[in-house]
Amino acid sequence: MAAPSAAGLARRLRAWLPRLTQVRWSRYNPSYLEPEVNKELYQKPLEELSEEEKEKMELKAVRPIKAAPPTLSSSVFSDPMISKFTNMMMKNGNKVLARSLMSQTLEAIKRKQLEKYHKAPEDEKEAIECNPYVIFHQALKNCQPIIGLNSITRGGKTYQVPVPLKDNRKRFLAMKWLITECRENKNRRTLMPEKLSQELLQAFNNEGPVIKKKHVLHKMAEANRAYAHFRWW
Amino acid sequence: EIQWGEDGRPFHFLFYTGKQSYYSLMHETYEKLLNAQKYQDQLIAQDLPPQKNKRNLAGSRWLTKIELEEMLLEKLTDNDYSRFILLLEKLMTLPCGDMEEKYVQKFSKEVPVQLQKVVIEPLKYDERGVAFSTAEGGRKTARATAVVYDNGTGKITVNGIDILHYFPVLQDREQLLFPFQFLDRVGKHDMVCTVSGGGRSAQAGAIRLASAKALRSFVTEKEVEFMRQAGLLTPDPRVKERKKPGQEGARRKFTWKKR
Repeated sequence: MAAPSAAGLARRLRAWLPRLTQVRWSRYNPSYLEPEVNKELYQKPLEELSEEEKEKMELKAVRPIKAAPPTLSSSVFSDPMISKFTNMMMKNGNKVLARSLMSQTLEAIKRKQLEKYHKAPEDEKEAIECNPYVIFHQALKNCQPIIGLNSITRGGKTYQVPVPLKDNRKRFLAMKWLITECRENKNRRTLMPEKLSQELLQAFNNEGPVIKKKHVLHKMAEANRAYAHFRWW
Repeated sequence: EIQWGEDGRPFHFLFYTGKQSYYSLMHETYEKLLNAQKYQDQLIAQDLPPQKNKRNLAGSRWLTKIELEEMLLEKLTDNDYSRFILLLEKLMTLPCGDMEEKYVQKFSKEVPVQLQKVVIEPLKYDERGVAFSTAEGGRKTARATAVVYDNGTGKITVNGIDILHYFPVLQDREQLLFPFQFLDRVGKHDMVCTVSGGGRSAQAGAIRLASAKALRSFVTEKEVEFMRQAGLLTPDPRVKERKKPGQEGARRKFTWKKR
């Protein structure tokens, strides 16, 4: 039969190849540093810099620097969190669609907030936040869990151990929960921007299914508090 | 070279580890580290402020694995080498006395920092008396040449077509304007570019690099340094990774079948 012989050939081929390069590598030399795009940092005069910043500047003057990626720009409109979120929403590399969905979401948020603003009485008008970027950042912050669960196997049984999470992991979980929530729990007729704006506004006010999921995770971590000593890192 | 005496006893106390010179080196370095920590503890006990040692970041690098192997006359693994370098780094963070400086200098090499002084071309003047400068840039398979004119209105033309029509996507136009926006010269220059090869994002990146290189002649040296630190002047080395035999793509393996 064709299948076993093909598999045997592939196995023999793979074993014959020498190990070429490591799995996680990059085209840049490890001495290359990340680029800094913020214009204001460069216009600060030398006296205002702190010790650490002066050291960093000296290091940057000597080492080569990587090229800025196409998503990064010095304009006011480019935000690293928004680009990260757009990349996570992207499917099959269709960045155009993801970006348009993101801009439609921000527009929808602005429209809803403006509606609320115009309907509200005078004294409540100042409390309503209209800037969609501020709402996005605050909603993500509200969705971030503080503590997570890791599975550790001891003596055959797998326990869920509460573990502190790194910043990157917290942001990733918040964004992932928002996106899965929007993709699954909606009617067939509602479009993604509509649903996402709804979720973001709810998260901004500390309500909604994503915040509930975060609280559930916290409760599970509290319940499994007894196993916290299993953590060795 | 025989490393044991007549009675069969080896001379070096770490002979039976197999890599005696490597392990004795690690031993010595760790002893220096402990001494430095004791010194720091004494300083703290006497309530003196902790000293910070200045390391010239520019000129020195650690020995490579091959150079270390030559020094020790033994084979090393990557793991061994990285552990040694980590120890040295840790030693450098503590306030080293002069003694340890000499010891550490044995393992560092001077790198003559000749940050290729790139020659900035002078401005050329065309028939109307307007200053302009040309530069080339590339990204993946795209190659672009850009001509940046002074005293302009901010019009940008690509292959004879306006950028609004050539790059319908907002991200590409943002990339084209990035160098101008960084230098606060958005409406002051005109640009005419030609680009070929690559896809839409690669062409945008190529034009960005070309325009940044061309703008170097219009701008002070400090701003050129700022542009370099913002990542505008390095050509992006990332290209499509080749497909390997025995796999479906560059990384994706064939479906694993149990039998």
